Amino acid sequence: MLPTTRYDARRRVRGTLAFAVLLAAFALLIIYLFPTIAESSADIDAFIESLPESFREGFGAETYTTIEGFVAAELYQTVWVLLLGLYMAYAGGGLLAGDIESGHLYLVLAAPISRKRVAFEKFLALGLPIIVLNVTMPLVVFGGTVAIDYPLDPYYLLVVHLLSIPYLLVCSGIGMALSTVLDRGDAAQRSALALVFLLFLLDSVTLGTDVEWLGAVSPTRYLDPTEILLHETIDLVDPLLLLLVAIVLVLVSLVYFQHRDL
Amino acid sequence: MAVIEVQGLTKAYGDTLANDHLEFSIESGEIFGYLGPNGAGKSTTIRQLMGFQSPTEGTATMFGHDVRNDRALRQAKARIGFLPGEPGFTPSVTGRELLDYQAELKGDERRAELLDLFTPPLDRPVREYSTGNEQMLGIVQAFMHDPDLLIMDEPTSGLDPLKQETFHEFLRAERDRGTTVFFSSHILGEVRRVCDRVGIIRDGRLITVEQVDELLARGGKQVRLHAEAPLTESDLDIEGIVEFETEGREARFTFTGDYNDLFAALANRRIVDVEIDEPPIEEVFMHFYGGED
Repeated sequence: MLPTTRYDARRRVRGTLAFAVLLAAFALLIIYLFPTIAESSADIDAFIESLPESFREGFGAETYTTIEGFVAAELYQTVWVLLLGLYMAYAGGGLLAGDIESGHLYLVLAAPISRKRVAFEKFLALGLPIIVLNVTMPLVVFGGTVAIDYPLDPYYLLVVHLLSIPYLLVCSGIGMALSTVLDRGDAAQRSALALVFLLFLLDSVTLGTDVEWLGAVSPTRYLDPTEILLHETIDLVDPLLLLLVAIVLVLVSLVYFQHRDL
Repeated sequence: MAVIEVQGLTKAYGDTLANDHLEFSIESGEIFGYLGPNGAGKSTTIRQLMGFQSPTEGTATMFGHDVRNDRALRQAKARIGFLPGEPGFTPSVTGRELLDYQAELKGDERRAELLDLFTPPLDRPVREYSTGNEQMLGIVQAFMHDPDLLIMDEPTSGLDPLKQETFHEFLRAERDRGTTVFFSSHILGEVRRVCDRVGIIRDGRLITVEQVDELLARGGKQVRLHAEAPLTESDLDIEGIVEFETEGREARFTFTGDYNDLFAALANRRIVDVEIDEPPIEEVFMHFYGGED
């Protein structure tokens, strides 16, 4: 079953674990800092209020005096949405172009297996980092907040992770689309990184301006951990929209890949 | 029925015709050498046969399946072993992992037998492999599902002479049990040793397809004679001497005639040294297929 997925996933184990450890360490560090900030006499929320709106919104910073607001802004809005989004775009960019360039795909496609199937199985292998990180992170974050005695509501924590999966799939899909179009592996990976980062910036800088609609092309607009963690509101429309976009990106990539010259 | 049937196969990259209306067929159970200098368009043909690139014009069939039809070609691929020009193995995997993966894709009933002949270090990651070891791993994966047709792009490049000989012997044995082999090469000697027929391609055009014996008779040998007294072309007034050149007491020419005539003509000369060798492939092209067209 799924030989290409397993083959590719095995190549991702080490990187995924390293990334999981790194993220966990960063999460624990952030959480460890929280009591000091919550108990300090400085009025941090007034300071946040004084920041430009695009900055506040871009980083989801509303309040640092509750654990929900703090973790949402310091961990999820930045590290999770931006860093992991970039990571998945980079991984997606490496799906095909690098293997086309090295000739590895010739070896695989010489077997009686369709191109679409190979490409789709490769995309499925990206499920490994997505699943592993979405399992380890909530555990680490929840454990961390319990340890400092400011426990987060585990339900909303899990919802943040669940609803970030469509977003991560879109980032992976952007990478994959570039990986089918471009011929060089590093070019596909770098342009996927650049594109996701530019979309994130576009979303942030247009917030609260007359051209706010411009940022609507960015997947980051459709995922708001602050909304879920702090305000405990769950919106399913945006994640479904992201899921749809991810499916379209993957389908278009598959069709294009089926017909291109290698 | 021909195993491979190439019909007007044409591939253009922009203005360059990498393959220009190629036309040839390969019969079941023969070893067909696809010979040409680097950049002649050999790999382009192979990539189209394998369905990696679509022809600009014309087509080809393998086991009767059109290479332009992915679904049909997949049926043919179950019976094909393929060795690309530069096998792009994932550097971090071990040879064994790669073979296991390939086995899942297409089967490996002959793996053990092949690993007796070709011996890549299976438990080391491919990044530590020499070119020869990579090539051996490529050969094992190409043959391990016991295909009826082998398509190989420069299969012996990087192999040491001993392994090359093993490979040639193995190819001949495969041919004798009915396997069809299509491989490209830029080395005339290799084609001469193993092929039944050869197709010669240059600048994207198929110059000739013929039996290897006939080609060799036409291609001749390169002769270098070091005589005690300088030789001139008129000293050797016999058939089959082309491109005669001298430098001091050394004469050089391509010889397509009868050796007995040559030795008779040299009988009353004091010869210091003589060398008779395969002509480089470019010379074969130059002499017999027109140089500058």
